[in-house]
This record gives sequence, structure tokens and C-alpha cells, in this order.
Amino acid sequence: MTAGFTTDWVIAPAILPAMTAALLIVAWRRDIQMQRIVSVISAVALLGIALFLFDLASDGTVRAYRVGAWPAPFGIVLVLDRLSALMLLLAAGLALTVLVYALAGWDKRGRHFHALFHFQLLGLNGAFLTGDIFNLFVFFEVMLIASYGLMLHGAGARRLRAGFQYVAINLVASTLFLIAVGLIYGITGTLNMADLAQKVPQVTAGNEALLKTGAILLFLVFAIKAAFVPLHWWLPATYAAASAPVAALFAIMTKVGAYAIIRIFGTIFGDGAGALANMVIPWILPAALLTLAVGTIGLLASRRLLDLAAFSIVASMGTLLIAISLFDVDGLTTALYYLVHSTLTGAALFLIVDLISERRGETLDWLVPANPISQAPILGTLFFLIALGVVGLPPLSGFIGKLMVLDATYETRHVWLIWALVLVSSLMMTISFARAGSVVFWKIDGRTTGATWATAAIAPMAAVAVLVTASAALSVFAGPAVEVFHATAVQALDPAGYIDAVLTSQPAAQPTGQ
Amino acid sequence: MLLAFVTLTPFLGAILPLLAIRFGRNTCALAAGAVTLTALVLLMSQAPAVYDGEVITWGVPWLPMIGMSFSFFLDGLGLFFAALILGMGLLIILYARYYLGSEDPMGLFYFYLLLFQGAMVGIVLSDNILLLIVFWELTSLTSFLLIGYWSDQAASRQGARMALVVTGAGGLALIGGMLLLGHIAGSYEISEILQRGDVIRSSPLLLPTLLLILGGAFTKSAQFPFHFWLPHAMAAPTPVSAYLHSATMVKAGLFLLARFWPVFASTDAWFLIVAPVGLITMLIGAWIALFRDDLKALLAYSTVSHLGLTTMLLGMATPLAAIAAVFHILNHATFKAALFMSAGIVDHEAGTRDIRKLGGLLTLMPITATLAFIASASMAGIPLFNGFLSKEMMLEEASHTVYAGYPWIFPVLATLAALVSAAYSYRFAISTFLGKPRDDYPKKPHDPPVGMWLPVAILIVPVIAIGILPALTAGAIVERTALAVVGGQLPEYKLALWHGVTPALWMSVIALAGGALLFTAYRQAEALHRVFAGPEAKRLYDAAIAALVSGARAFTDATHNGSLPRYAGIILTAIVAVGATAFLSAPYAAGTREVIPVEFPALAAWVVLAAICVALLFWHRERLLALVLTSGVGLITSLAFLEFSAPDLALTQISVDIVTTILLLLALNLLPKTSRGEAPLAGRLGRSTLSAAVGLGVGALAYAIITRDFQSISDYHLAEAKPGGGGTNVVNVILVDFRGFDTFGEIIVLGIAAITIFALLDTALRGAAAKTLESIRSPEQSKDAHPLMLVVATRVLLPLALTVAVFIFLRGHNQPGGGFIAGLIVAVALIMQYLASGYAWAAERTSVDTQTVIGAGVAIAGLAGLGSLFFGWPFLTSTYTYVELPLIGEIELASAIAFDLGVFLAVVGVVMLSLAQISRVEERAEHEPVPEGPMDVPLKKGRIVSSNGQES
Amino acid sequence: MELLVASAIGLITAVGVYLILQQWTFPIVVGLTLLSYAVNIFLFAAGRLAVNQPPILTGADAYADPLPQALVLTAIVISFGMTALIVVLALRGFLETETDSADIPPDDLKADKR
Repeated sequence: MTAGFTTDWVIAPAILPAMTAALLIVAWRRDIQMQRIVSVISAVALLGIALFLFDLASDGTVRAYRVGAWPAPFGIVLVLDRLSALMLLLAAGLALTVLVYALAGWDKRGRHFHALFHFQLLGLNGAFLTGDIFNLFVFFEVMLIASYGLMLHGAGARRLRAGFQYVAINLVASTLFLIAVGLIYGITGTLNMADLAQKVPQVTAGNEALLKTGAILLFLVFAIKAAFVPLHWWLPATYAAASAPVAALFAIMTKVGAYAIIRIFGTIFGDGAGALANMVIPWILPAALLTLAVGTIGLLASRRLLDLAAFSIVASMGTLLIAISLFDVDGLTTALYYLVHSTLTGAALFLIVDLISERRGETLDWLVPANPISQAPILGTLFFLIALGVVGLPPLSGFIGKLMVLDATYETRHVWLIWALVLVSSLMMTISFARAGSVVFWKIDGRTTGATWATAAIAPMAAVAVLVTASAALSVFAGPAVEVFHATAVQALDPAGYIDAVLTSQPAAQPTGQ
Repeated sequence: MLLAFVTLTPFLGAILPLLAIRFGRNTCALAAGAVTLTALVLLMSQAPAVYDGEVITWGVPWLPMIGMSFSFFLDGLGLFFAALILGMGLLIILYARYYLGSEDPMGLFYFYLLLFQGAMVGIVLSDNILLLIVFWELTSLTSFLLIGYWSDQAASRQGARMALVVTGAGGLALIGGMLLLGHIAGSYEISEILQRGDVIRSSPLLLPTLLLILGGAFTKSAQFPFHFWLPHAMAAPTPVSAYLHSATMVKAGLFLLARFWPVFASTDAWFLIVAPVGLITMLIGAWIALFRDDLKALLAYSTVSHLGLTTMLLGMATPLAAIAAVFHILNHATFKAALFMSAGIVDHEAGTRDIRKLGGLLTLMPITATLAFIASASMAGIPLFNGFLSKEMMLEEASHTVYAGYPWIFPVLATLAALVSAAYSYRFAISTFLGKPRDDYPKKPHDPPVGMWLPVAILIVPVIAIGILPALTAGAIVERTALAVVGGQLPEYKLALWHGVTPALWMSVIALAGGALLFTAYRQAEALHRVFAGPEAKRLYDAAIAALVSGARAFTDATHNGSLPRYAGIILTAIVAVGATAFLSAPYAAGTREVIPVEFPALAAWVVLAAICVALLFWHRERLLALVLTSGVGLITSLAFLEFSAPDLALTQISVDIVTTILLLLALNLLPKTSRGEAPLAGRLGRSTLSAAVGLGVGALAYAIITRDFQSISDYHLAEAKPGGGGTNVVNVILVDFRGFDTFGEIIVLGIAAITIFALLDTALRGAAAKTLESIRSPEQSKDAHPLMLVVATRVLLPLALTVAVFIFLRGHNQPGGGFIAGLIVAVALIMQYLASGYAWAAERTSVDTQTVIGAGVAIAGLAGLGSLFFGWPFLTSTYTYVELPLIGEIELASAIAFDLGVFLAVVGVVMLSLAQISRVEERAEHEPVPEGPMDVPLKKGRIVSSNGQES
Repeated sequence: MELLVASAIGLITAVGVYLILQQWTFPIVVGLTLLSYAVNIFLFAAGRLAVNQPPILTGADAYADPLPQALVLTAIVISFGMTALIVVLALRGFLETETDSADIPPDDLKADKR
């Protein structure tokens, strides 16, 4: 009758950050030191929990957690499977690293950094865990509004301008989300993903058009989050304007969109969806290629490192989406590998750019000759390695990711187009990064003399190094890693276990008062 | 296993020089040398086995899913190249020790060099072609770092980038080619692929595969038209030029051709493409080399030419040509490296390597001169030196190569190329070392320390030895290697100085004599060259890159122009388009639900709404008006909710409407009152059509939905609300119980909104914003800022409002109401105090801290949920009991009510905070004295707490 | 009735979109508010329309669908928070940059402040 000790932990990734943030606001609002201590402790704990849940999910069983003990589909259900566990782990790991980086001083440049940071984690974790489309909306909103707060952290003219656009576009997306939910509920009469997975195939022909529209609108919401071109406009300015640790944390925000697509259109509108089976798939590949192209061009055009970083996020989403567009086991395995890789390298790139630009005085991250920066050897090496990861050259994970994408698309109809684009874009990225790197680290202009403070830079550099190491590990241990991703992909594409865990194996009804 | 070590040793050992440099340059060089030697010894320990015809393989899986494995194999070819790489490496390390200046970071140099060495060995020993690509790319990267070693020189930086881009491009082509090859052959192991030549040759994808692989090989080996990067790579320190750009890296392409010779050589495409490319490269390279005044540039183009020669031989696709190719690779490696080092010595000692500034060095540096002379002689193809032999074999093969039916093309052009290379070899040797000694050198030239000329001398030994006794000295190596290349039986052949009077002999004679003539007629030739000087490749390359970048910038600037209307427009258009396509692509049947008859009030409301909408379109630039109209829409919305049986929604909507309006009013007080300017007609038309389309779409969808019947899960909620949730207001029960988790998130959204707003406005009273505030004259500013009536009214209203709030809060579970509405009421009542009595007055009386309220709200909600965990129930499991309260009567006190309390607190907090913060900013604009620091800080007399908490 | 409601939703949406496509922050905020009204009705209507059947258990035989009402309540609260935030953001941006244009001017090396 009780939910059971282990299963109780499924809710922890939602509760812990929420309570941490609340505590930070109530107790230590004006004590940055205590904030930092509590914040880090909580982040470490979260990572621990994520590891535990990851291990839990690795046995292949799907675990449903009924909030409020209400039977599905009437209450809200959290679902832990390989996919959600993987995303939780990725988010927690990234968060801790970024947090350590932020401790060097970013968190002091505005109010409530740590509270917002943990609220952001709550939003992410909730979105990964929930098995209910409206609840997904709620956690999207939590995630977004926290990201607004973080993105605006420290204010400044550019940030405020970009922030407004970011918020406005996302509010439009949220509106769209509600319309989609309305349509889906209006036809199926349910919100629970597992329940939907069962009801969608049985929908009468006369209702298909409306349900399909609802689904496609939902897809577009995720597409905006995932920065599909031409829905990506919010991304470059926002990421370039956000403070470094925030931009780094945002590296996973676009992936939430990708996750949601895999989840919804793998579980609900997958092969089993009858007339509406796999209906979004035709839309993904064109958008993916366009995204890769636009991202690459933007990269080539960049006049500053931040633009380089922002557009490389766009480009990486393009590559990721190519893999997703296959929507089979190999494609999804590749997608997951690339998802993890691009999150790590993307975050690392924003952090290293920050470390560089804060050492270049007035010239910041602009690609113009400047005075030599302090700790150039270390930073240069890190930048070089991260660039390799982003461009997709060995020995880091980017190369293997690219190989997997090329290999997975070999059988497809547009193989030549895909290969040409992927390879050419790698070349363009090589050009861009070679130019950027040689300007920043080689083309030293002694005349300008700018501040080159490098105090307390160890922790931040360590944070970047950790991300690079993770990427390298992902490359060296690609074999075992891919085995995990493969299992995850298989599970994500087979809703049976999911439906069973959520709907069939129901516990006793909840206790009623007298 | 051991093979893996041979490859990994340089990588692992690369770190040693970096550490050893602390103990001096000799230690550093020794460390690097030791590493290379170790690898070489390990390799050679396998040599006997290989020469007994064994093929040694070892491997572990890396990424089985795509057939990637960490596997190596060693045969004659691999051994030949690996030995060449490592052996040459030793000499280079020795040479570099003396070549590098005291200011050059030597540790770093050897670090890069060893990394390159490892990558290079990796290429030639890899069994798995994907692994081979990994090493291939690594050589490009390390050579990028090595060429850019003197990063303060523009030439180095550009040369490095060009090399990286060109070879990188080839690398990418190679990736494509290898993946195709692997898919066709069904294996990524070279040892397997070589077995399946027939499968590959019969594949329809043969040509693309071949082209892509050749793309990789040709760029790496600087074959025409990709030859232009190599000379610019010569900006690198001379040891690098000698090692990478003559002995090893540029041979990687040749290695690839040799490696897959058994697979492709028998195809027509191979001969038709590879052979002529090699021939052209050989000719062009030689011709350009002849007119280079920089010694290294001359050698660079000569290298291009000799790479072309080898490529051509491999392209001829006959076993004999393959043998000649192998032989020439060996010979070229020896004499060309020697020449590069000599050039480096000249540069190092004389301070210049410009032929026009050189001459007569023979007497000044006799040792170097002698060595360089022998090497040049070999390069020219003069008998008794190894260069002659392989060139002779090349001419022999060319003499009977028929291309596209023309028997003369290859013999003639090959001889011509040989002639020109003889000429530039003469020029290199004679103009530099002969002639009368000059005294206008930047430095006083003399022979370098032994360590510097010794490597050259060592290389000269095979030049002569092979030149005189080829079969004895090089026979075994060539045979074993050639066997591996052709992958079968070798035909009858003999390495010898004298083959009798053959066509090749005559061609050689012509070449040598003609070369001498050409050299003597250098002036005229140069004039000729100026006439036929094609466009400089680098200029083309730079132009291409520049065009690429400016094009990209034009595109990106045009598209990402920062205009929100444009962005929103595109996004909405996309949504409409995709949505419509989706709808139209699936069957649709109109709904059959019976419609509710229209009532007059509803119709009236609709008309008003329509009027408001039209008005908004026309007068939206009058912002105050727009605001009033909008709140009108809100009002009608709540009426609609009321009409259609949603009292909670009606209540909520109306109160939200009020607060939102106040909020917007306060903001508008500071913002401009009108929207200036208007978009051009076209823009307006576009907007209108888009808006109409969206409106139409959403409206149509709504209609389609509400006119059809459906089955909902909510019957359960209606049934369970009372027994399960203990409330009769099902909506409220759903909110706090069935879907309490949504509400949990909702509270948090409010909380985040609040602290974000706080963080935003907290800084508004400082910096740029403050200046703006000063400049704003608030029009609402009246003499009497706080009219007495209003003050009194609000003071009286407050307790009343609070009572109502409590009532609404408590009945929420059963009747319309609940935490959210109650919270809004309280908040509005409190905010009235601010508006009426002024910020300062209210702030001094606000002992309660809004942010604490918010935090508490979230915390309470969370704890309420956690409570159930202790009883072994899931998060948010609720229970309830009945309590008798005066006035309100009996109510169920559900544990979920704590949730409503959370909502209540959060709402009060966010409204108070945002409104109060703005009104505070307002008063600043109205030049009233305002306490510095955020309003959440309790203010005590005579002490001001600044926003970040420090005393000020 | 259904037609009235649906057309009303359409109207509000259209006006909202039109305002969002303006280039000043304030109209955009107003437009977003209108959109939230429209979508709230839309989501509510997804539970179908019912007159005089409030989902307050009184032993009546039919009730309006309570679920969408609950969803809309959540949506209203959330959109309220969002509106509050974006208003303040617009205000703050105006105070910082002295213009209430919603566009981002192309940044250049000199103009860049950190």
C-alpha cells in the first residue's frame, strides 16, 4: 500500500531544489556565504540522488510515482525510466559544475542567484519526471521563469533588451502550449501521457484532424524550446547576453525541448498511435538541416566569442535533431549520445569564453587583437580542446558523435544531403574556431594594456576542466556509454512498459478521513 | 598489444619534455629522444616476424555500434613507414636541439612534436579505418600547432590556419569515404577490407568512395590543385618542415594510396585520376620551385613535385610502378630531409636563406656545403646517388604508359619534369655554395656545431649507399614493402645502377643535360615564368575565405537583425502554416453536440467585446486607453466564466484583472504614454493578415472542439471530490488535492516572479536607470500627493478586506473562493495603503517582509506535501477532518488547505512586492525623499541598510 | 452560444497578435495579456460549455467539467506572474536604455557595456 522507500526518491529531485530555494529566500537572503554553502550542499545532494535514481532505472523497469496517491490517470504521476533518469543525471552534473564556476563571483552580481538556480533545477527535473502533459506545462513555466530571472541576473542594457525578447517569445510559446493541451484534452478527455498513449490510437476518424493539430502545435512548442530554425530567434541574443554560468546552464534548456519531443512523440504518438503514428517525423529533418546551416553560417559570421558560442549551440541542435529525425533505435541512441556531448561542450564553451574575455580588459570577447591574457597556456589548451569538441574533431566526444550521426543516416533517403551538410559545416566551424583561436591566443597586440586580473581563477578553470574531462571520458568509454544510450532508446520507443507501470499496476486507493 | 604501445608511447611520453625542460635543454631533448627511441625499439622487435611474412594484429572494441575498434596491424608497409617516422624523428629531435633559439619554448616544441609523431605512427599502424581517421585528424591538428609555433609571426598563423583548413577539408572527405568503404566492405578493419576488393570494386558506390578517399590523400600530400598550402606551412621552424612537410605527414596521403592500392588500383578510375594528378603536380611543383628564391620555398615546391612523382607511380597501377614508388619514398625521405636541414643550417648561420643574398658558402661552411651538394645531386637525379635510381625507374614506367590512347603524354611530361627538377637542384646547390664568397651576410657564416650537421651526415650515408649498391642496401626493405602494397606476388625486377641502354637512360640524359641548359638560361626562363605566372594560390584562398565570412555576416546580420516584431512574425507564420498543414492532412468531421441557445446578455457582451477589439486596433497607440480597453476584455472574460458555470474562474479572473491593471498603470506612469511612429502600410497589412489568420485559426479550433461530445476523466474527480478530497468545490479540490502538484509549481512560479521582479527593480535606483528617473516628470504629480479621503478610506477598508479574505479563503474548499483570490484581496487592500499614503509611510509600517512571505509560502506548501511521506504515503497525500467554526459554520479542514495557505502567501508576497517596488520607484521619480535600499529591509531610525546587506 | 464564444476567442487572439507585432514594449505586454485571456477561455472551453452547472457538489445531476476549470485557474495564476514580470522588465529596460523599443540594436565594440 505504501509507495515504498525506493520509489519515494523519485519525487526528491523536485522537492530538494524547491525547499533549498525557499530556505535560501527565507533564511539567508542577505548572507551570500551561507547561500553558497547551502546551495553547493544541495547541488551535491541532488547529484547523489540523480546517481541513485540512474542506478535504480538501469534495471530497465519503469517506476511510477503517484503524487497524492491518486490513481492514474486522475492524479499526477511522475515516471522514472532510463530516459528521465539520464536527463536528471545530466542536469545535476552540469548544475554542480556550473555552480562551482559561479561561486567565483558571478553569483554576487545580482540578487537571489542561488535561489533562482535551484528553482531552475526544479523546473528541469519536474519536466523530465512528469507523466502528465499539463504538469509538463507547469514545470516548463517554472523552468522558464527561473531562466528569465537567471538570464536577467546582473541586469545591464543588453541583457534587459535580449531578456524582453526572450520572455516575450516564450510567452507566445506558453500560450501555444495551452492551446495544444486544450485540443488534446478536448478530444481525448485526458492529460496523462500513458492514458493518452492508449486513447490516441482509438480516436475516431472525425477527430483525427483536431488531435493531430493539437499534437503538431505541441511539437512546435518544443521546437521553439529546442531552437529549431526558424523558431530559434530568441537563442543567439539571449545566450550571448546572459551571464556565463547562466548561459552554460542554459546549454541544457534547448535539450529539454529535444527530450520532450522524444518523450511525447515516442510514447504517445509513436508507432502505436494508429492513424497518427509518427506524424511529426517528416517535419524534423528539414528543420534540422536548416538549423545546422543557419547555425554554421552564424558561427562563420561571428565577430565575438559569445556569438561563436551561441551559434555553435544552434548548430549542435541541428546535428542533434538530424539524429532525432530518424526516430528509430539507432537514431535515438545517436541522439542521446550527441545530446550529452553537446550539453557538456556547449556549457564548457560559454565558461571558457567568459574566462578569456574577463582577462582581455576593454576588448572583452571581441575578435580583435588584444593584450596577452594571463594564464594563456591553460586557457589556450582548454579552448583548443573545447573547440575540438564543438567542431567534432578527435579526440573529444564531438568526433564520435559526428561519426555516429553520419553512420546512423547512411540508410536514409537524404544521406548525401545530410552528409554533405554535416561535413561542410564541420569545415566551416574549423575555419571559424581557427580564426577565433589564433586571434585571441596568437595575434597578440602589445600596445593595448587592459586589466588582466586572474585572482581566484582556479575553481572556475577546474569547473571547465571537469566538463572537458567528461567529454573526453564520453569519447574514450564510448562503447559502454552507447550501450546505456541504446537501452534507453529501446525503452523510450516502446511505450508498453511505460503504460503498464503508470496505469495497470495501481496501488491501493488513498486513505480517506472520517 | 605491443603495437598499441608503439603508438601510445609518443602520446604518453609527450609530457616528459615539458617536465624535463626544467632541467635544461639537453635533458629536454634527451627525454624526447628517449621516448622516440623506446617506440622505435618496440617496433623493431617486431621487424623479424614481419620479414618472415607475418602480419601482426591486435585490437580491442571501442564503439561496436559503428564498427569502431582500437585495433592495429603491422605488415611490411606499416613497418616501413613507422620505422621511417620514428627514425627520422630521432634525427629531427637532435637537430632541433641546436636549431631552436634560447627564447623558444623547447619543452612545448617537443611536446607537440611527439604528439604528432604518435598520431603519425597511429595512421600507419591502424587496422580500423575509423581509428585511422582519428590519427589522421590528429596529425592535422598537431601540425597546426607546430606550424603556428612562432605564433607572433603573421606568416606562421596564416600558414597554420591554411594547412589546417585544407587538410581538415580533406580529412572530412576521408571520413565520408571511409564510412562508405566500411559500409560497402561490411567491415572497418583494413585487414578485412583488403580481402574484399572485388566486393568494393563491383559496388555502385565505388566512384564516390574513391573520390572522397582521394580527396583526403591529395590534400594531405599537397597534390594539385591542393598543393598551395604546403609552401606556406614552411613558415614553421625548419625541423618541422623537414619532418612533417617532407619526410612524414605529407607522405600520409601516399601511404593511404599505397594501403588501398590492392583494392582500387585495378579500377579504371584509379589510373585515370591518380596518375595524371601526380604527373601534373610533379610538373607544376618543379616549375614553381625553379623560380623560388627562398631556399625553403624552393625545397617545399620540390617536395610537392616529388610527392606528385610518387603519386603518379602509384596511379600507374602496375606492380613495377608500385615498387618504384616505394623505392622513391625511401630515397626522397633521405635526401630531402637532408636538404631541409642544410637549408636550416644556412639560414641559421648566414642569417638569410634568400638565394639572391647567398653564394660562395663552400669555403665558409665546407661540411654543410659538401653534404648539401650530395643531397642536391641526388635530388637532381645524378647517378651514384639514390635519387637517380628511383627517378630512372619512374621514367622507365612512364616511357611505356599510354594515357587515353596517347603514348607520348607521360614520357614527355615526365622527362620535362625531371629536367626542371634537375635545373632547380643545380640552382639550389650552385647559387648557394659556389661562386665567390660574399661578405655581406647578416651573420658571419661558419659550420654549425656537430649536433646540427650530424643528422644531415647520417642521412647522406644511405643516399650514397643506396645509390651505389641498391639491391644490397635497400633491396629487402623495398621488396617486403612493395609486397605489402601490391598484396600479391611481385614481378621480376632488379634494383641496379645499370639497366643497360634503355629509353629511361636517354630520358635521364635529356633531363640532366636540359636541366643544365635551363639553369644557364635562368634569366630568360624567369622572364618566361613571369609571363605565364598564374594567379597566386594564397591570394585566391584568402579571397575565398574572406568572401565566405563576409557572405555569412551579410546573411546573419540581415536575418538576425534584433527586431522582435520580425521574429514574432516569422514564428507565428510558421506556426500557422504548420498547424494548417497538419489539420488539412487528416480527416475531420463536424461536431454533433447540441448547441446552447444564444441569450441576449451574452450577445450584448459579445458586441461590446467586438467593439473593444476594434477600438484597440485603432487606438492602441494611446496607451492609457488601450489599458482601459484591455481591462474591459478581462471583465467580459470573467463574465463569460460566470455565465458558463465557472464561478471560481470568474472571481479569480476579475481580481487578477484588477491587480494587473494597477500594475500596468503604475508602469505606464513611468513609460511613454503613447507609441510613437507607425509601420509602413506594407508592414501593417502583413501584421493584419497574420493576426487575422491566427485569430481565425484559434477561433475555428475552439469552435470545432466545443461543438463535439467527448469522454473525460473528470467524472472521477466529481465522484471522488467529496469522499476522497473532502470538499464540495471540485475545482478547488482538484487544485489542492488531485492536481496539487500543479499548484505546487504554480506557487513557485509566483515566488520566482516576485524575487526576479525584486532583483530587477532593486538596481533601478542606481546607475543609468536612476538618471532616467531623475529626468522623468510625472504628470500625475499633484500638489496634494495623498488626498485625505483616499487615505481614510483605505485605512478603513484594510481590516474589512482582511476579514473577507479569511472568509473566502476558508470556504474555498467547498464554495467558490480559495487561497489565490483571498491573497489578491489582501494584497490589493495593502497596496492601497502604498498608493494612498505613500511609499515611505507604508514601508515604515510594513514590518512583514514580502520575500519572507513568498519563501514561507513555498516552504509551507512543500512541507504540507512532505508531511504525508512520514506516514508512508506519497508526496501531497491529503487527509481531512471536520471543524466547527463560528460564522462560517462547519468546514472540512483538509491537510491540503495548507497548500491553499501557500498559494495565499505567495500571492500576497508577489503582488505586494511588485506593486510596492514600482510605486517606490515612482516616488523616486516624483522627487520625494525615499529610503535607499530595497523595501524588504526593515528600516530603523538613523540606520540605512543598502540592498546588498552591508551597512552603509 | 458556442459560436459567440469561439468567435470571441478568435477576436481577442487576433487583436493580441496584432499588438504583439508592434515594436514597443508596452503594446506587446498588452497584447500578451490579451492572448492570455483568449487562451484561458480556449482551455476552459475545451471542457465544453455548460450553463448553470457549476462543479460545486449539490446533488445536481450534471456538472460542468471541473478539470479544465482547475487547469485554467493554474494558467491564470501563472500568466499573472509572467505578466507582472514582463511589465517590470519592460519598465526596467526603459529606465536603463531610455527607450521602450523592443528591438536589440546591433551591438558593437564601443557600445558594449558589461
